[in-house]
Formats: sequence, structure tokens, C-alpha cells
Amino acid sequence: MLSIKNIYKNFGDLKVLKGVSEEIEQGEVVAIIGPSGSGKSTMLRCMNLLETPTFGEVWMDGKLLTPIDPYLHEEVIKASNTFKKMVAGGMEEETAVKEIKEKDLLKEKFSAAEGKEYGALMKKLYKENYIDINFARRDMGMVFQQFNLFNNKTIKENIMLAPVKIGMQSRKQTGLTKQEIVAAAESKAMELLKRIGLESKADVYPSTLSGGQKQRIAIVRALAMNPKVMLFDEPTSALDPEMIGEVLDLMKELANDGMTMVVVTHEMGFAREVADRVLFMDDGMIVEQGSPAEVFDNPQSPRLKDFLSKVL
Amino acid sequence: MDLGIMAKNIVDIIAKYWKVFLVEGVSNTLVLSFIAVFFGTVIGALFALGKMSPVKPLQWIITAVVEATRGTPMLLQLYLYVFLLPSMIPSLNDIKNADWICVAVALVLNSAAYTSEIIRSGIEAVDKGQTEASRSLGLGKVTTMTSIVLPQAIKNILPALGNEFITVVKETSLASTFFIGDLMTSYLKVKGINYLTMECLIITGAIYFILNFILSKILVVFERRMKARA
Repeated sequence: MLSIKNIYKNFGDLKVLKGVSEEIEQGEVVAIIGPSGSGKSTMLRCMNLLETPTFGEVWMDGKLLTPIDPYLHEEVIKASNTFKKMVAGGMEEETAVKEIKEKDLLKEKFSAAEGKEYGALMKKLYKENYIDINFARRDMGMVFQQFNLFNNKTIKENIMLAPVKIGMQSRKQTGLTKQEIVAAAESKAMELLKRIGLESKADVYPSTLSGGQKQRIAIVRALAMNPKVMLFDEPTSALDPEMIGEVLDLMKELANDGMTMVVVTHEMGFAREVADRVLFMDDGMIVEQGSPAEVFDNPQSPRLKDFLSKVL
Repeated sequence: MDLGIMAKNIVDIIAKYWKVFLVEGVSNTLVLSFIAVFFGTVIGALFALGKMSPVKPLQWIITAVVEATRGTPMLLQLYLYVFLLPSMIPSLNDIKNADWICVAVALVLNSAAYTSEIIRSGIEAVDKGQTEASRSLGLGKVTTMTSIVLPQAIKNILPALGNEFITVVKETSLASTFFIGDLMTSYLKVKGINYLTMECLIITGAIYFILNFILSKILVVFERRMKARA
């Protein structure tokens, strides 16, 4: 459902992601573990484009969120002038494609006329597959380490804001009145607050809540958009130990309801218990992955063994 | 100097010329300050947004204007606009209040330069996580700015903006160079009639002080109300 293809991310000279590809299936709970600075959070943030990948593509539900990465499309490479020159020079098509990919040859300058077919194909691919990021993000809830509840809004307003704003934007298609949109958002917000037992906090501001309460509200705020996938960026790392449980319980509940989840976490117990698949990242790459049993009980790579010996 | 005589003079001047000070002077000063702060804030906000936009040439132009304004004296800018604007817009010469308008323009742009920096730092002081949370819910840049970032930025900005308002009220006194009827012009007028410099200065100073005192109290109430909301 959500896939990233050959993602690279550079911050200046710092290479944080070095070509990661991953496919998240519907209903799957994927935990991402690894030492700090390994690129876990950056990879998660690339999934909903809070970080723009330097190279590579992000696809959600068969729709493209990033610009086309020409190296990922053989037909684009084949339309390029470089490829044609290579083939005209007697090179096998397959070898030419491989060479272009490996040596990063598409950057070679060509005249406008020469690049016409190439450019047209890129544009066509983009047009056919592209979806506006603001639309795509409605299907991807995100929960942050620092909660990031809106400080200037009450709890209820926090939850209602996005459904109301977006409901108003698509009012022409749905034909709903403002009152109907607000009423629907409000009843949904109260239902969600009831679910986490915080309906009494509906009209207070976030600054009066505990960390655990804030994070649970941040989770239901994302749920108010009825997302297809939820991204969790170290949701319990900023919490006091006694509050971690209540947040993890809510996440487990979500997982049991069949929500697709990607969770960057340091909670190995949670990863082992809830995740369908565990990815181990180190140095900007996915080093090892598998079921929790495989990753935790039978690690293959020395780096994972080393990491587990420190955290378990 | 006899304080008794001075006090009597002050009372006499107030009794005779209160209209010049309060009706003409104070109203002009307040209107000028209000125009300068209101439009200064609006234009300053646009400057701030422009400076934060990704369009480089826009950033350069705004930075140049802001730095030039902050780096030169207010009085010099007043002279500049009073001489420059009528030569650029000849029809200004036909208007009776041309100087007043030029002074207002100078004050607005001066205020805009300062408030743009205040607003920019206020916006940048809002935690980036607020923007990220809003964008991650699928809200666009504009909605995020107007619903989340600006309301929080205003809370950061308000104290500094209040100071700017008070500064502007005092800076309008420079406009008396062009005799445009502000409070300081009232002082020049009345002093010109009775030559009681000290007494007139004390009266004018007291009025400025009271204006700014009331203003700062109003701002404190505003700030408190903003704080109570979160």
C-alpha cells in the first residue's frame, strides 16, 4: 500500500539514507528499530514527505507523491539520448540500462530537441501517477515524539481542525453545509475522546495535560481523518516511564483493529509483541528484516547482534 | 526659577490653549501613530512573509529596504519622503495636506521595517512541530499559517509590537519638523505665542507620557487575555 523506492536523503554533505526500499502491506504492523542516527525517523518522515527525499520515489495506494526518479523507470532510461547513443555504439540494451543506472549517466546534458521524447515521457508518467501531497497525507496519520498538539486550540478543536477544514474545502463535491461538517467532526471527536477515556478534557488546552494524555490525543487526532496508514515517530520516547504503557496499549488496540502501522520505536517489547515485521536500520540502510522472532531470537548480521546485546 | 509662578503659568496655558494641545495635537499624533502601526503591521507582515518565501530576489529586495530603513535616522527618512514623493507624484503638490501624507508614508514604511523583523522572529519562534503536525494532517501551507502558526506567533509578537506602537507615538514628534499639526507642533505653536518654553515642554511631555502610559496598560490587558487562553 505504501512503498518507498530507492530513497536517498542528504542533509548537506551528510548522507542519512543511502537507498532504502520498502513496501508496507495493508493491515501490516512494521516496527523500525536501530541505533540513533541510523535514519529511522528520516525514513518515516520521507514516507509522508515531511522530508523530501533527495532521490527515489514514494508511492501511496498506487499514486506517486514525489517527482519521477528516472533511474527507477527503464522506459525513461531507454528514451534518453545517452541510452540511444550507447545502443547505436553497439552496446546491448540491457548492459546500457545497467551502465546508465550504475554510473549515474542521465545527468549528461543534451539539447532540447534531443531530450524531447525523454522529457515528454517523464511528464506523462508524472501526470498519470501524481497525487497532491495534501490529499495523500489525509490517508497517512502521523504521530510525533513531541506530540505536537496545537497549543492555541482546545483538545476538541485539535481533533476537529483537519476534518472541518478539509470538509469545507471539499464542500462543493459533498454538498454538505458548514453546520453539518462541524457537527459530524464534533461527534467524531467526542467519540474518539470517549474511546480513550478523555472526554472530560474536551475543552481544555494541551498545556494542562500529561505527556501520556497528549500523545493519546495526538493519536486520535490523526485517527479523526480516517487514515489508511499510521506513522509513529518514536511515540513513547519523550514520555515518563509510567505513561508509556497507556500509549502502547492504545497502539496495540489499533493494531488489533487491523490498522496499517509503521512504528519507529525503542520499545523492543512492543516491537516483538505487536509487529508483523521488524526492520533493523543502521547507517542509512535496512540491514536486516524479518518476523520479530527471526530478528530478535536469531539475528544474522553482526551489527544487529551488537545492537540487540546493548538494548535487550 | 519660581515653581509657584511656573505652576500658575502651566494652568493658564492649559486653560487657554487646551484645544491646541488636545484637539489638534493629540488627535493628529494618535491618528498618525495608528496609521503608522496599522499599515506598518500589515506591510510588515507581508515583508516578513516575503522574506521567508523561497523567492530569492524578493528576499533581497525586502532585506535591502528593511536594512536601509533600520540603518538611517527617522528624521532623514522624513525629509527624504517629504521631498521625494511630491517630485515622483506631481499631483501631490495640489493637495493641501501633502506634507501630512508624505510623513504618514514615511512613518508607515519605517514602522513596517521594524515590525517585519518582529513578526518574522515571532513566526520563527513557533515550534516547527506545530507546522509539521498540521501539514501531516493534510492541511495546506496557507491554512497551517493562518490557523496554527500566526495565532501562536501573535502571542510572541504582541509585547514587542506594543513597544513598537509606543516608539511610533514618540517618533511622530519628529514630524513637527514639517509643522503638520501633531502634538509637538502644538508645542511649537503655543511656545511661539508666549515664549514660555519650560511650561509648554512640561505640558507636552505630560501628555505624551499619559498617552503612552494608557497605551501600555491597554497592551498589558491584551497580553493577559491572550495568555489566559492557553
